[in-house]
Amino acid sequence: MTVETRKQTLHYFFAKVVDRLGYKFTPDEDLRDFLLEQEVLLEQKHGIPFCPCQPITRERAHNMTLVCPCIPFHRAHYDAMKRCWCGLFVHKDVTDPDSLPQIPASEVKRG
Amino acid sequence: MQGGLIVATTEWIPVMDDASLPEGGMQSAYPRGLNVVIARVDGTVYAVSGACAHMGCPLFTGSLAAGILTCPCHDWRFDVRTGEFLDAPEVRLTVYPVRSENGKLFINLG
Amino acid sequence: MPNIIMYTLSTCPWCRKTKNFFKQHGVPFQFIDYDLADEATQERIMAELDAHGANGFPFVRIGETVIMGYNPGRYQELLGL
Ligand code: SF4
Ligand code: FES
Repeated sequence: MTVETRKQTLHYFFAKVVDRLGYKFTPDEDLRDFLLEQEVLLEQKHGIPFCPCQPITRERAHNMTLVCPCIPFHRAHYDAMKRCWCGLFVHKDVTDPDSLPQIPASEVKRG
Repeated sequence: MQGGLIVATTEWIPVMDDASLPEGGMQSAYPRGLNVVIARVDGTVYAVSGACAHMGCPLFTGSLAAGILTCPCHDWRFDVRTGEFLDAPEVRLTVYPVRSENGKLFINLG
Repeated sequence: MPNIIMYTLSTCPWCRKTKNFFKQHGVPFQFIDYDLADEATQERIMAELDAHGANGFPFVRIGETVIMGYNPGRYQELLGL
């Protein structure tokens, strides 16, 4: 399977999941394309489409919270940013994703 | 009005012998080619879509404990009684009605 | 100029943007790509991330100040650019 076809497959699966969660793919096409490609490459390397922007370790339980789309496991954090950490997904009402900063989890929890 | 469509949508499809599904166990079945998982939890039989809501992995190869089905691929956990994904209940597996008659389990795909 | 070290991933677009920011402003920095590092280095980086409650990359240290996530405004402010 080519990288391009696999990107489309991941897009198909992920779109269904994130729609239910109130998210959509970012309208930033370059970012979307880059991140999906990284996920396909990570999947080729590890067998799993891990997050391209967060650290996987040797601990399975930790790593399984970083499989795309990881939104269910970081809901409060991402809802506060209106985007996921990588920015592949944004809240449905977002039209200008560049205006959304990355806020670390520790600052969101502090309020 | 008795249309053919009504008959088709209320059809119960036999899937397996009731006795072949032990308490706490699960099995895959393919009524009309559709992949479903049938599980018995606390004496009641439930049927849910057999393809994981995440990326479609076959759920019957995962594990079932206390009604919670864990996908073998990335450990997403679903309640087979409601189809709900435990970490985000908005994401769910389709649940199908099941009934037992004359020692056989029947499923209704709706 | 304060010492600048950053932890990044080779797969992360915001890490690339961070590196580009410093390059474009002619500010020298060191970086380690966590995903390409050896196991001992990864463990050391994870310990540092955990100590700061950081969930992901980029993780930038400018002098004594840590900035988590891509934040060009903060970089500018700290470097007086
Ligand atoms: S942060 Fe976004 S892109 Fe990264 S794994 Fe989570 S949902 Fe996917
Ligand atoms: S496919 Fe089931 S958890 Fe990923």
